[in-house]
Amino acid sequence: MRTNYQINSGVRFRMLSKDQLQALFDGVLHVLEYTGLDVYHDEARDILQKAGAWVDDIRVRIPSYLVSRSLEMAPRSFTIFARDGNPRHDIHIGPGLAYFGPGPTPPNFIDIETLERRPFTRSDARIVAQVVDALPNIDFCESLGTISDVHVDLAASYEFAEMFPNTSKPIVAWSYGWDDSADIHKIAVAEAGGQEAFEKRPNYIHYCEPLSPLVSTFEALDKLIFAARHRVPLIFTPCSIAGGTAPVTAAGIITQAAAESWMGCVLAQTIRPGLPFFMGGVLSVMDMKAMIYSYGAPELSLMMAGITELAHYAGVPLWQTGGCTDSKTLDEQAAIEGSLSCFFSALTEGDLCHDVGYTESGITGSILQTAMMDEAIGYCRRITRGIEVNEDTLATEVIQRVGPNGHYLYDKHTRSHFKTEYWYPNLCDRRSFEEWQKKGSMPMRERVIARVRDIVATHQPSAVKPETEKVITQVLKAAEERVKDKR
Amino acid sequence: MSEIYQQLSTIIIAGEDEKAPGLVQKALDQGLAPLEILDNGLLVGMNEVSARFAQEEMFVPEVLLAAKAMHDGLEVLRPHLVAAGAKPIGKIVLGTVKGDIHDIGKNLVGMMCEGAGFEVINLGFDVDPEKFVEAVKKNRPDIVGMSAMLTTTMIAMGYTIKALQEAGLRDTVKVMIGGSPVDAEIAERIGADGYAYNSPTAVELAKRLVGAA
Repeated sequence: MRTNYQINSGVRFRMLSKDQLQALFDGVLHVLEYTGLDVYHDEARDILQKAGAWVDDIRVRIPSYLVSRSLEMAPRSFTIFARDGNPRHDIHIGPGLAYFGPGPTPPNFIDIETLERRPFTRSDARIVAQVVDALPNIDFCESLGTISDVHVDLAASYEFAEMFPNTSKPIVAWSYGWDDSADIHKIAVAEAGGQEAFEKRPNYIHYCEPLSPLVSTFEALDKLIFAARHRVPLIFTPCSIAGGTAPVTAAGIITQAAAESWMGCVLAQTIRPGLPFFMGGVLSVMDMKAMIYSYGAPELSLMMAGITELAHYAGVPLWQTGGCTDSKTLDEQAAIEGSLSCFFSALTEGDLCHDVGYTESGITGSILQTAMMDEAIGYCRRITRGIEVNEDTLATEVIQRVGPNGHYLYDKHTRSHFKTEYWYPNLCDRRSFEEWQKKGSMPMRERVIARVRDIVATHQPSAVKPETEKVITQVLKAAEERVKDKR
Repeated sequence: MSEIYQQLSTIIIAGEDEKAPGLVQKALDQGLAPLEILDNGLLVGMNEVSARFAQEEMFVPEVLLAAKAMHDGLEVLRPHLVAAGAKPIGKIVLGTVKGDIHDIGKNLVGMMCEGAGFEVINLGFDVDPEKFVEAVKKNRPDIVGMSAMLTTTMIAMGYTIKALQEAGLRDTVKVMIGGSPVDAEIAERIGADGYAYNSPTAVELAKRLVGAA
């Protein structure tokens, strides 16, 4: 028995020193206290003022003690529960844990049959949920699109109604405003067994997006207030563009985005102390030649690593980004950009890593990209799991037993470890040339497509309760009624 | 009675080598025919292992442990099979070729072929062509199996085939080859009858070569 024996459990990455993190932290407090944000929501300004913020017309400045107290109130560790009680689909947020999932709202989708780029439709939301449910390394669900074939105000309501019965992995739900947030919440609460039961075991997360630079829009705050009042775990994440809507430097964009997100944290914690809160945002560069927001840039990974470290320094979990690409198709660029950002994200232990499956710089969602990244994430997770060092794994006795010129294939030690010690690929091919040829000489791209089609044809997610089915029908009917005179 | 056959096939599939000899002895003690113990018990398990491996449901270490269990069970059963006049499904002379001392893979192939019902004469490693020729003359096998691990020793497989030709023995045997640098193209170029890329597929190949699969 060794005493004070130190174990590094898993491989992680630290980029910024404590001094650098404190400098960033102080920078954010400085922006919130001296610059402030424009807050386009009367009630939100009232709530913030009563809490101690300085309100000057729409400009709200928040004293640093109030920010620090709000960060203190937000939990670092909590659980989002699978709707069907399957513990393997629960998400446990906390230090050292990293989860992955797709992203919200691109207008286009890659059709899994024709492989063509076309507008995202209602049935795509179902397909994405079903595939997410089956992929072993994808932990939460977003739809990868904005439904184009329903009334424009109801895209989010239909999206949730399609996804919820087709995966029991927690959904990160976006919405336009109060009404569709309420649609979504009714469905989730029906399955949980009432509001009180939901509050004890929340089964989805609500996603809100303020505007950069330094604007809290009415919709973002209205949704935030809805989530806080109903105790829905909340993501408050700006999507900031370095050189466009945020400073061009990594430290500058991190500081501004944190200020935008922490404004939401202060409001949420004031309304509902202890509300599970994920800090944002999504940080990358504007490509100064193509004028696109780059989802494949190395700076995305670097900036995301910086803001993750700041979030953890402040004691809150982070909405990470990875598995995305600027490529238009499932190709080598998509594999390189997606895999490297997944790996970097995993190394930073960013809590929920989203946008796994974004292609064309966030303009087109692709569940094929998500499925390819599922493999990359499995690979990353084997690395971040690290090396275990103990008497059994050191295997000095086994080495003695086998001796020179023996082999380990028969040994019980091999038998008891070979399945857990190695990662086995689902899509990467390790067969002999002949076997690979016999299976149709398929390149990675074709294997990904075949896997997705196979899941769609065969995978059965666990069903929702019959009463939830009824609530879904009622909610959609009432929603149609609400918008029937709106064009 | 059928229960013990079931148990035998189960321990083979689970690779419980330490239980195999005892269970075979128990079956013999119950007065079951040696050939029935083989066909209805051990081989049922081994065939299931082959099927699962082909479906990628079993991993190589599990297949090898199954083969080890089979091997240890056969040690007990073999004298009784011989006494009962049972014949192996084929005879294999096996060796790692001249200049090469890598014999782990070749030994695995030998053990697994035994498990599948072959009689295996293992010549060891660094076996020169003349020794292969002698062994063929002496044992009259159905198959000669050669292994090479190095690109530099691969060439000795060709020399051995030539030596078999010169001794007028080439037509009396099938030649199968394996080892990490070997592929189907090399097998064809040196005039072998078949090539396998791992031990379970080597067993399938051997069965095909003797018309048992």
